[in-house]
Amino acid sequence: MNAAGPLVWRVVRYALVALTVVVLLYLFLPTLIIVPISFSRESFLVFPPPGYSLRWYHALADSIDYQSAVLNSLIIGVPVALLATVFGTLAAVPLVRGRIPAARGLSALMLAPVVLPQIVLAIGLYPIMVRLGLIGSYPAVLLGHTVVCTPLVFVTVSAALRGYSPSMELAAMTLGATWWRAFWWVTFPLIRPAMVVGFIFAFTFSFDELILAMFLTSPTTRTLPRLLWEQLNYQMTPIIAAATSCILCLTVALLIVGALLSRRRGFGRPA
Amino acid sequence: MAMLLVLFVWPLLRVVGTSFTGNGVTLANYRALVTDPTYAIVLVYTFRVSLVVTLLCLLLAYPVAWVISSLRGHWLHLCLGLVLVPFWTSTVIRTYAWLVVFQRRGALNDVLLSLGLISSPLRLVNDGVGMQVAMVHIMLPFMVLPVLSAMWGLDNTLLRAASLLGANPLRQFWHVHLPLTMPGLSAGCVLVFIMSLGFFITPALLGGQHIMVAVLIQQQASRLLNWPMASAVSSVLLVVTCVLYIGYDHLSRRASGADLLGAGR
Repeated sequence: MNAAGPLVWRVVRYALVALTVVVLLYLFLPTLIIVPISFSRESFLVFPPPGYSLRWYHALADSIDYQSAVLNSLIIGVPVALLATVFGTLAAVPLVRGRIPAARGLSALMLAPVVLPQIVLAIGLYPIMVRLGLIGSYPAVLLGHTVVCTPLVFVTVSAALRGYSPSMELAAMTLGATWWRAFWWVTFPLIRPAMVVGFIFAFTFSFDELILAMFLTSPTTRTLPRLLWEQLNYQMTPIIAAATSCILCLTVALLIVGALLSRRRGFGRPA
Repeated sequence: MAMLLVLFVWPLLRVVGTSFTGNGVTLANYRALVTDPTYAIVLVYTFRVSLVVTLLCLLLAYPVAWVISSLRGHWLHLCLGLVLVPFWTSTVIRTYAWLVVFQRRGALNDVLLSLGLISSPLRLVNDGVGMQVAMVHIMLPFMVLPVLSAMWGLDNTLLRAASLLGANPLRQFWHVHLPLTMPGLSAGCVLVFIMSLGFFITPALLGGQHIMVAVLIQQQASRLLNWPMASAVSSVLLVVTCVLYIGYDHLSRRASGADLLGAGR
């Protein structure tokens, strides 16, 4: 190895670190630009804003559209996350633990709804919901979101089940526990953290989902993403910036709480 | 569970069924798909954009994941946070941010104008380039996270062994690092490519006349009310995605146990 060797590698290393910093800024900065705009005095989007005020936050607080959209997103998101957690767990336990033929293929099928483009599912669900007379109602979008969110719970719970040995449950059953008691006292406590994570995944997904909501909701049941979308297409005032800044703060706060919780419980890396 | 499968498979079968309708059962929609160049242009364009986005994500994500995987303590939490916050932030919101950055009187044009780098505002919205920059931004965490989890799972003694045996960093990377992180890498690539193919929000807002497949489907269904045509395009998208997904599933089953979402191990 010649003398220039180590120096070259050190330069390469610094270059990689510099690239990382640039990429992280690229991930973060554009979204942050929204925050100053939300305090703009003007009713059009310019950066930097010519003057600052709270008028868009007042407008947001007074807006009935936003209030009902947030409410709708919660009315849809919470039951979706609950249903997805139940269904995802019910699918994961037999597929990972049981001896089901073609378990691998079935697992792939369970994951498919979240991998395949939502627009295709939306195009298919729309006429079905019309025929069932459910179009525009809560059940329509609730069912649609549950289909897409169940795989998220399935993935996290499956991972947790693979993370410990089946001999735990076997031991319980050898000691005389029924299948149900073994599940309730052994399996359930072990997979509970994964179920909570899956629940959060499912809720966030439903809270963010636009395409199914666009096709399956009506103006009375429209969710927050759909309202933001409609506003983006028809009126571009900083009220959207105010709304998104609020959501952004909430997201960051939830992530920090989640990271702190996971560190206290000692789950290891917050990933 | 059966109900969910019904709610998933039934709509998809219906889409395929509808794609053959028109005046009775017909192949007319698919014939139009092949003969009318507008559809072919959209399909080819979508493929090209998805490929470019996947490659750019790969090139940017790999070094970032490598640097993050070597961090400990506060720096690790900070960098991970910088990846996770965008990951958890709504796509509508992040696309809106790019709209603000890219518009004629937007942040980027302001900076470039005041620096004297350009004399008149650039047209970045409704231009394919702006859309692709925003798409890479949105897809990047989906590439970083699987690669990162593969790197965390890497056995460091292997790298040390390679360096003790006299391999320089480049050779260590090529013969040890790259092959061992391949499962995470390929999972990220397939995920980003599939998501890009069916991506709607960013192309719809920033794409302008550069239409991607999902936007085409939505236009056909909602604006033109041409459900058979929307179904035909959807079926093509469905088949392509299924083939990619099944192909990846086979590959990963042979290689190791890696799941598509990187969490199944």
